[in-house]
Amino acid sequence: MESAPPAKKVLSLVLLIGGVALLAASIAMDVARSSSGLRGPMLIVGILAVLAGLYFFPSQRRHRDLVNVIFLFPLLFTFAVTVIIPLVLGIFYSLTNWTGIQYTQFVGLANYAAMFKETSFLWSLLITILFVVVNMILVNVVGFLLALLCTSKLKGIGFFRAAYFLPNLIGGIVLGYVWQFVFNNVLIQLAGDGISLLSNTNTAFMAIIVVYIWQYAGYIMLIYVNGLVTVPGEVLEAAAIDGSSPVTTLFRIKIPMIASTITICTFLTLTSAFKQFDVNMALTNGTGSVQNFMGNYLTNGTQMLALNIYNTAISKNNYALGQAKAVLFFIILAIVSLVQVRISNKKEVEL
Amino acid sequence: MKGKKLLALVLALVLMLSLVACGGAASTTTTTSSSNSNTIRLVNGKIEVDAMLKKLAQMYKEKTGVNVEIESMGGGIDIQGTLKGYYQAKNMPDIFVNGGATDFANWTGLLADMSGEAWVSDTDAAYVDENGAVIGFPYTVEAIGLAYNKDILAKAGIDVATLTSPAAYEAAFATLDAQKDDLGLTAVIGYYTEPVNLYWSSGNHIFGQYLDAGLARDDTTYSDLLADGGKLDVARYTDFAKFIGLMQKYADQSMMISGTYDQEVLNFASGKYAFVTQGNWIGATMTSDDADAYAAAGSFQAGFAPYAFQDGIDTILTNSPSWWSVYKDGNVDAAKAFLQWLTTDEAQEVLVNEAGFISPFKSCKFVATDPFAQSVSDYIAAGKTSNWHWQSNKEGLAQNYLGQVFNDYAQGKLDTDKFVEVCQQVCAACYAS
Repeated sequence: MESAPPAKKVLSLVLLIGGVALLAASIAMDVARSSSGLRGPMLIVGILAVLAGLYFFPSQRRHRDLVNVIFLFPLLFTFAVTVIIPLVLGIFYSLTNWTGIQYTQFVGLANYAAMFKETSFLWSLLITILFVVVNMILVNVVGFLLALLCTSKLKGIGFFRAAYFLPNLIGGIVLGYVWQFVFNNVLIQLAGDGISLLSNTNTAFMAIIVVYIWQYAGYIMLIYVNGLVTVPGEVLEAAAIDGSSPVTTLFRIKIPMIASTITICTFLTLTSAFKQFDVNMALTNGTGSVQNFMGNYLTNGTQMLALNIYNTAISKNNYALGQAKAVLFFIILAIVSLVQVRISNKKEVEL
Repeated sequence: MKGKKLLALVLALVLMLSLVACGGAASTTTTTSSSNSNTIRLVNGKIEVDAMLKKLAQMYKEKTGVNVEIESMGGGIDIQGTLKGYYQAKNMPDIFVNGGATDFANWTGLLADMSGEAWVSDTDAAYVDENGAVIGFPYTVEAIGLAYNKDILAKAGIDVATLTSPAAYEAAFATLDAQKDDLGLTAVIGYYTEPVNLYWSSGNHIFGQYLDAGLARDDTTYSDLLADGGKLDVARYTDFAKFIGLMQKYADQSMMISGTYDQEVLNFASGKYAFVTQGNWIGATMTSDDADAYAAAGSFQAGFAPYAFQDGIDTILTNSPSWWSVYKDGNVDAAKAFLQWLTTDEAQEVLVNEAGFISPFKSCKFVATDPFAQSVSDYIAAGKTSNWHWQSNKEGLAQNYLGQVFNDYAQGKLDTDKFVEVCQQVCAACYAS
């Protein structure tokens, strides 16, 4: 590859120029609000032409990098469209009085100031943290116990594994409505007083926790089962020969051996509990009253953070404030995730 | 080496082609829905008349060849939120529903002016914005009062015309309660306050009685007071709260806290309640979904009584509940032509006789066979109607605040005074944010 063949160079240049022209034309059409059906295909063909041009570009040193970029392109493109661009736009909108359709002025940090003055938002923040802590512990404990059951020598283990995992296959919204029916139409008949568990903030909150564990513990169980299966048989056998009781084996051998699995599961439950939305929305839609929280009567007793953001934007029609809350939500989640990863890395090194 | 390179190239091309396939498919669907002049899309907010609108669409297609797609939403779905999603996705319908000043404010500058249409002179119920542009097509008039079962009240010997004071209601409820078994009633009144899916009934319609019951159509005293930072008139609201307390006392206790809308309408249609706290839209459900139960209960006549929480209140609330607007960048001419066609006799016949709408058009000669139509027409003829203004309430007031407080009151967590106090507090909180 001392000198590139001229044909290749010409092809590359033609593709590059053609691609850029197509891209420019399609963007111009977009700005001009043309309704031509060719716009989309032109954009995509343009992108392809540019990429192909880059691939054929006769450079020695950078060729491998270019190919790497081309291969990464679909992923980078999707990531940019679904994550990076919305994040930037979101931060931008949180500084305006956006209505979901248009904005007329910049308001600076007013939305951020407003959200901390809203007691209902602080309440949502509080119960979300409570929910996360409770669930992180309960889901892991329940999941781990189920995993122990499912790795023992009981009959019909395959059936039980599948049965415990099954709730996870049902979407959260459907699950919420099914359980709402159970609470409001079935359990209410058994209780007989006409008051559903979902009508009281405390019991409704517990109901959400129960439903969430029911949904998620099977999934966590599956990961623990995987971990427990990888504990080497000879180690367990050696322990048994040395006269270790099952409890000692569990705490001294099995649990330390699956420490990395525990980290993964804690991390998974932490973030997913933080983002809890669908079950919350379908089951109670955040209703429930709090008699006195910081001197206020609240009507969003079971409304968690994600649902609070959704309701602020959608049902209260305050998109800008909702967006500001979402930015805070992002920051909290990012910090939690980073801390968690940092801690788990350290622990794994020690092991 | 060369083989590997070729393989890489082929793989890259396959990846990109799949991207083209997806992108291409998506872009074609959006363009067909917006540029095809032979199709208009209508987002309807009344899911209960979905079948009738589809029938109209079919008739219109046979007549003119224009395809009308009906997309119905309702039953607790946040329609404006969905429409905003459509707007962001450039997937706007040509005609869509708007429920009042707050909804219309979302679309300032984006709706077509229909002032030049022939139907405008035929109705008083068109939605006109502050600049005089007609941006809302009225398709029905709705009424909210305390719905009653005429047969049962007649059997119990209660004259509806006397129900214009809390004392009269108290006596009537007691009379009915005493004869519950003879009349086949489960409870005197169906009053449901479940806050997740039924908040709109308590938080909008019943709360709306406090705002407007008994007032002249242009009187906005309490609505204005509410708009001023969420203030309530304590004296009037206390009377209102006492009346709600009276309803709670005689309500179906097993359903009051957690019952669903379907159960509420079905129980009323089955003759198990003498009263129910819903408006005339349940007539369509009673004669379609619940037709068997309704026939078994003797296809009784129904009507409305006023929410007389103060002496002398004798009006029910009527208004156009929502309007259809034409999207400025949509298929405007075809959409306008379709709306104009809806006011013709053949379309009005379906809307009135089958969908049970009460026509807002003066030239319409049909009277609905709906169980409530006669009662509503009588109130309109006698001038005993009030306008309703709950649609100007701040968005989210019912769903995020009042629905829950009404439920707490029904659960007995709040007494009457505390209920008034808490309502004042949550209204202020809602208007402050």
